[in-house]
Amino acid sequence: MTNVASDGSRPRGGDVQSLADEPAEATGYVPGQPDMWAFVLFEAFLFTGYFVVYMVCRIQNPELYLQSQAQLDLRIGTFNTFVLLTSSWSVARCVQSAREGEFRSALTNVFLTILFGFVFLVSKLLEWAHEIGKGFGFSSNEFFSFYYFLTAIHFLHLLIGFIVLGVVVHQLWSPARRSQELVETGATYWHTIDFLWVIIFALLYVMR
Amino acid sequence: MSAAATEAGTLPDAPSGSLLHRIVWHWRHNPKWELWFAWWMMVVFYNLYGVLFFMVTRVQPPPPAWLDASSVVQWFDDRHQGLLVGFAIVFLITGFIVPTNALLAYSMRRMSVSRAFPYSYLVIYSMSAVPGMLLTCVALTVGAMRPDRDPELIHWLYDFAFMAFDGTMGVFLIGSLVWMLAILLDENRVFPKWFAYLNLCNALTEVVVSPAWIFKRGVFAWDGAITWWIDMVVFVIYTTVFITLLRRMIVREDFGTGPLPELRTEEEAAEDARKPSVSMGTAR
Repeated sequence: MTNVASDGSRPRGGDVQSLADEPAEATGYVPGQPDMWAFVLFEAFLFTGYFVVYMVCRIQNPELYLQSQAQLDLRIGTFNTFVLLTSSWSVARCVQSAREGEFRSALTNVFLTILFGFVFLVSKLLEWAHEIGKGFGFSSNEFFSFYYFLTAIHFLHLLIGFIVLGVVVHQLWSPARRSQELVETGATYWHTIDFLWVIIFALLYVMR
Repeated sequence: MSAAATEAGTLPDAPSGSLLHRIVWHWRHNPKWELWFAWWMMVVFYNLYGVLFFMVTRVQPPPPAWLDASSVVQWFDDRHQGLLVGFAIVFLITGFIVPTNALLAYSMRRMSVSRAFPYSYLVIYSMSAVPGMLLTCVALTVGAMRPDRDPELIHWLYDFAFMAFDGTMGVFLIGSLVWMLAILLDENRVFPKWFAYLNLCNALTEVVVSPAWIFKRGVFAWDGAITWWIDMVVFVIYTTVFITLLRRMIVREDFGTGPLPELRTEEEAAEDARKPSVSMGTAR
């Protein structure tokens, strides 16, 4: 739960330091802008649609999917998942540090999140290059069409995530800004990337 | 929420005569009549657009991308009259885009952001009408016009029309991002921030159309479950939401330059109306 001022209003830029000294109240507020949670909901519905289509196609041709799946390296997928989960952990630590008024630590954690995101980005590019090198492109077969589509649309979310983390850095950098609400909104977006990846990983790499 | 709550304080009571009488009254007395005109044009345009494309011409949902030349000729034959009559009406109502785009740009003009946002949005969305509507309709009309034409030529027109329709994706993508950025930067609270994020969601569905350039069959072809059906669901939700939010914006509009006043409930409006008399009574 995010900090809430005594009058019930949400913290603004510059309020964070004083609010950080107060114990967190158990209130009905969600972390960050509630509007970002609406985005999480939209995205969840949208990706549910993609996943359902994937499952329906898979049921119609299970052999092709199993054979193609065997071409993916589970270790890379696991590494991707581990890196993104670690990035979620560091962004959560960033939020916690900002709440406690420890902005240097919050900045360190958001830079760590960017670093983990970058590691994910590079490993995904290498994985794509590796699969293309083996002759499995976007139009090779239905499974690989889904593989490139789902990982690419997720990759696009990741790129937007770097802009969002840039906003978080911008907020934490100067004492004149430091909106806890924006920091939490950015973290919510980053967790969404992680959440979507975990499902994509399960569907593409793990499910047999 | 009462839509009339805010307007009641700024407008004298409208007469309760015939529809024509009330329209004339609003034209003379309502300072928002141009906004309401544009809004109603938008509602009429989208409804007509839906009826004409889905029911009269029956070109939507899109037919399969994999049809061969003889099947495409048959497809045109099945819709011959609908295509000619439907697209004749589409060309007649194309001008409805003008007030629609004007209202969308007005919403950004009312925000506390640079004028670059509404101007770029206006140009982008006016441009989208060329591939998304005009080129598509012209190509399909030409295809239907002379059924005895070489089937390969009709097949070419068929591909051209549907690829032109999908060709709007990049334009809508940037348009949605412009609107999103304007809302996020705006301090006048013209739209809620969640609508900015819905714009992002809509922009991402435009990207999803791009596989239609590669695939002729399956979920990524121009008629596919991912490329068309899921995108259409998002588009309908997005359109319904922005039409509703634009209506709220017009109701809230005070023609100032600061934050738009919030809509009040009827109870709050009644409470506000009572306040002056109470304070006057106290003063006496």
